[in-house]
Amino acid sequence: MESIGNLLLGFSVALTPGNLFWCFVGVFLGTVVGILPGLGPAATIAMLLPLTFKMDHTAAIIMLAGIYYGSKYGGSTTSILLNVPGESASVVTCLDGYQMARQGRAGPALGIAAIASFVAGTVGVIGLMLIAPPVARFALRFGPPEYFALMALGLTMVVFLAGKSMIKGLLAMLVGLWLAGVGTDLFTAESRFTFGQMELLDGIDFVVVSIGIFAVAEVLVNMESRGGTELFKVPRGIRNLMPTLKDLKDCRFAFLNGSVIGFLIGVLPGAGSTIASFLSYGAEKAFSRYPEKFGTGVIEGVAAPEGANNSETGGALVPLLTLGIPGSNATAILLAALILWGIKPGPLLIQDNPGLFWGLVTSMYVGNVMLLVLNLPLVPLFAQILRVPYFVLYPGILGISIVGVYSVSNSLFDVWMLGLFGLLGYAMRKLDFPAAPLVLGMVLGDGLERALRQSLMMSEGRLSVLITRPLSAAMICVALAILIMPLVNKVRSFRVKAVEQDV
Amino acid sequence: MKRSWCCLLLITSGFVLSGAGGIAHAAAFEPTKPIEAVVHTGPGGGSDIFARAIAELMQKEKIIAQRLQVVNKSGGGSAVAMSYLAEKKGDTHTIGFFTGVWITNPLTTMEAKTTIADLTPIVRLVLEPAVFAVKADSPYKTMKDFIEAAKKNPNQLKQSGGSVTGRDNLVRLVVQKATGAKWVFVSFPSGGERIANLLGGHVEAMVIEPQEAGEHIRAGNMRVIAALTDKRLPSFPNVPTLKEQGVNVPVIPQARGILAPPGVPKEVVQYWEGIFDRFAKSANWKQYVEHNQFEDGYLKGPGLNKFFDDLTVQMREVLKEAGAKVVR
Repeated sequence: MESIGNLLLGFSVALTPGNLFWCFVGVFLGTVVGILPGLGPAATIAMLLPLTFKMDHTAAIIMLAGIYYGSKYGGSTTSILLNVPGESASVVTCLDGYQMARQGRAGPALGIAAIASFVAGTVGVIGLMLIAPPVARFALRFGPPEYFALMALGLTMVVFLAGKSMIKGLLAMLVGLWLAGVGTDLFTAESRFTFGQMELLDGIDFVVVSIGIFAVAEVLVNMESRGGTELFKVPRGIRNLMPTLKDLKDCRFAFLNGSVIGFLIGVLPGAGSTIASFLSYGAEKAFSRYPEKFGTGVIEGVAAPEGANNSETGGALVPLLTLGIPGSNATAILLAALILWGIKPGPLLIQDNPGLFWGLVTSMYVGNVMLLVLNLPLVPLFAQILRVPYFVLYPGILGISIVGVYSVSNSLFDVWMLGLFGLLGYAMRKLDFPAAPLVLGMVLGDGLERALRQSLMMSEGRLSVLITRPLSAAMICVALAILIMPLVNKVRSFRVKAVEQDV
Repeated sequence: MKRSWCCLLLITSGFVLSGAGGIAHAAAFEPTKPIEAVVHTGPGGGSDIFARAIAELMQKEKIIAQRLQVVNKSGGGSAVAMSYLAEKKGDTHTIGFFTGVWITNPLTTMEAKTTIADLTPIVRLVLEPAVFAVKADSPYKTMKDFIEAAKKNPNQLKQSGGSVTGRDNLVRLVVQKATGAKWVFVSFPSGGERIANLLGGHVEAMVIEPQEAGEHIRAGNMRVIAALTDKRLPSFPNVPTLKEQGVNVPVIPQARGILAPPGVPKEVVQYWEGIFDRFAKSANWKQYVEHNQFEDGYLKGPGLNKFFDDLTVQMREVLKEAGAKVVR
C-alpha cells in the first residue's frame, strides 16, 4: 500500500511539465552522447553540473540521470553500424551487431538494441524501486575475494568469445591482461611498463584499445580488398528495418537474462557495466541451442548485452541512493551534484527527500518510454548510413574514431596509440586471433589483479581466503565448470568417434 | 563610442581612487579572454568539481568579468596537468588547481618532472579535514581501543583507503610510527568501494571526510573515533583529536588552492590575490565551505611558499620511512 502511495507521489513529481521537459532534455542528450564514441555520460554530466545550480534539484537530478541511462541506448549505434564501440559496455555488441549489419540486418539489430534497452531499463527501475535496500545490503557482502571470483568468472567468458581456436583466444586474453597492467601500481605507487612516458602513468585507456582493435582494424582490412568491395545491403521498406516477431521471440530469454544480470552486477560498487554486458553475452551463448552461431550475427547476441548494460544503470543507482555509495564514475558525479546542491546523499536520502527519490524513479519509467519513442524512429535513419559509399564511409569511421579517442583525455598521444592498436588489430585479423578476448582481458585485468592483491593483503598472503568464503567459492566453482565444459565435450566427442570406429 | 569613453572614465577614476588610498597599481592586470583553469582529474573528479563550483560561484558573485574555463588534464597522478602548466610558462590567462597530490606525486614518480616549486603559488583556499571512522557495531570506541587492538594482534586489523601516497595511508604511517601498532592498509581506487568494504565488515577502519561520514553516522552505520585535525571539528564536537587521545603525530593536511604557470608577471599574481581576497569573503563561498565541511585555509604570499616547502619536507620524510621509493 505504501509503495503505491510513494509511486503516486513520484508520478505527481515526474509528470509536471517542467520535469517532463528536463527528463526529455536529459535522455536526448544522453542518446547523443551515447552515439558519439569517447565522450561518455560521466564527462557530460560533469560539464553540465554548473548549469544545474540554478535549477530545481529534482528537475536537475532527473535530467542528469536521464543523460546517464540515455547514453546506454545510443552506445550500440556505432557498434552495430561501424564496428566502433561507443563506450566500453558496447564492445560485445560489436560481435554480433556488426555482423548483422553486414548481412543487411542493421535495422533489426538497432531495433532490438532499443527494445532490449527499454525492457531491461524498465526492469532495472522496478528493481530499484522494489528491492533496493535488501539488495544493497547483500552487495556489501562482496569484499575483495568475492570480486576476484566475479572477475575470474568474467574471464572464463573467453571460452565463449574465442573464435575457432581456444589457444588463440587465451593468448589474446593474456595480451589484454598485460595491457591492463600498464600504468601506476595502486598499491606501491610504482610505474609499470611506462617506458618513461608520462602519458602512460594512468594506463592505457580502454576506449583507445577497443576502437583501435575493432574500428581501425576493420577499416584497414576492408581497404585491402579494394577491388571487390560490395556495399552493405540495406533493404528498403520499413518492414525490413524492424525486428520481426520471430526476432522478438528469439530474444525472450535474452531480455530476461540481460535484465537480471545487468541489475545484479550494477548493484555491486566495484563491477561495472562492461562486465555485465560480457557476462550476459556469455550466459546467452552458454544456454543457447546454437552457441556455434554466436559471433556471426545472432540477434540474441545484441539483445542480451544491450539489455544488461541498461538495467545496470538501475542497479548502479541502488547503492548510491540507499547507502550513499557511488558504484561507477557517472554515479560518483551524481553524488557530487547532490552535495553541491546542499542535499545530503546518504543512507537517509530516501527518508529525507521522498519527493526527489520517487520523482527520480518514476521519471526513469517515463524516460525509458521517451527513449524508446526517440530511438525506434531513428533506426531507419541510421541504417541509411550504410548506403554511403566506401570511399566516404571508411574515412568517416577513421575520423569518428580519432575524434572519439582524442576526446577521452584531449591528448594526441592517445591518437598515436590508436594507430598502434589499429595495426595490432589488423595483424590479429590476418592471423585469425579473436579481438574480444583481448578487450575482455583488458577490462577485467585491472579489477582481477586488484581484487587478488587486496584479498591477499587481508589474509596475510593466504590464498585460502578465496575458497573459504561461500560466495567466492561458489563463483569460482561456476568458473571452473565453465572452463572444464568444453574439455568434457571434447572427450565425449572423441569417445563417440572411438565407438563409431569400433563398430 | 559613448560607452567606451565611460569605461575609460571609470578606469581612470579607479586609478585615482586607488592612488588616493595609497595602493599603487602601476599597470593593473585585467584578463582579456576566458581563463584556462587546469585540473588534474577528469570530469567529475574531486578537483574538477571543486574548480567548476568555484567558476560558478565567481560568476554568481560577479567577482570576475571573464569566465573560468575548466580544462581537464588528467593522467599520471598530477603529472600531466603540472607539466602542461610548466609548458605554459609566462601565460597570464592560465591557472591551476592544486591538491596534496601535486606535492607527493613528483616525490615518488620519476616521470613526473615538474614539481610544485616550479610553479607560481597564488592562494591556498581550503583544508579538507578528515576523521578516523569505524563501523557502528565495532568494539572500538576510541582511537586508543583501536591502537591497543592493533598492538595485540599486529596486522590483523585493516584500513581501507586510496593510493599509498594519499593522506589515508600517510595518517596510518605516522600513527603506526608513534605508537608501535601495526595494521594493514588495503587500497581501493574509488571512494565508494572504501565505504562499502567498511560497511560490509571486510575492513575495520577508514579515513573519511566529515561531510561524508555525517550521513552514515546519522543512519547508524558508522562511528567516528578521532578527528585528524588540530582542533575538534564543529560538526563532531564530541570526537577528540588524535593529540587529545595521546597520539602525538603531525596533522597531515589536505589542501586545495590555486597556482599559476612559472614566470608570470607580478601584476598577474597580485590580480589573482585580489580576486581571491574578495572571493574568500563572499557569502556564497562561505556557504560552500560550510556545506562541504571544509576548513577555511586561506593563505597567500610567503606563508604559502613556506607551507609548500614544509609540506614537501614532511611528505618526503613520511614516505621514506614508509619504505616508499622517493625519487626527488
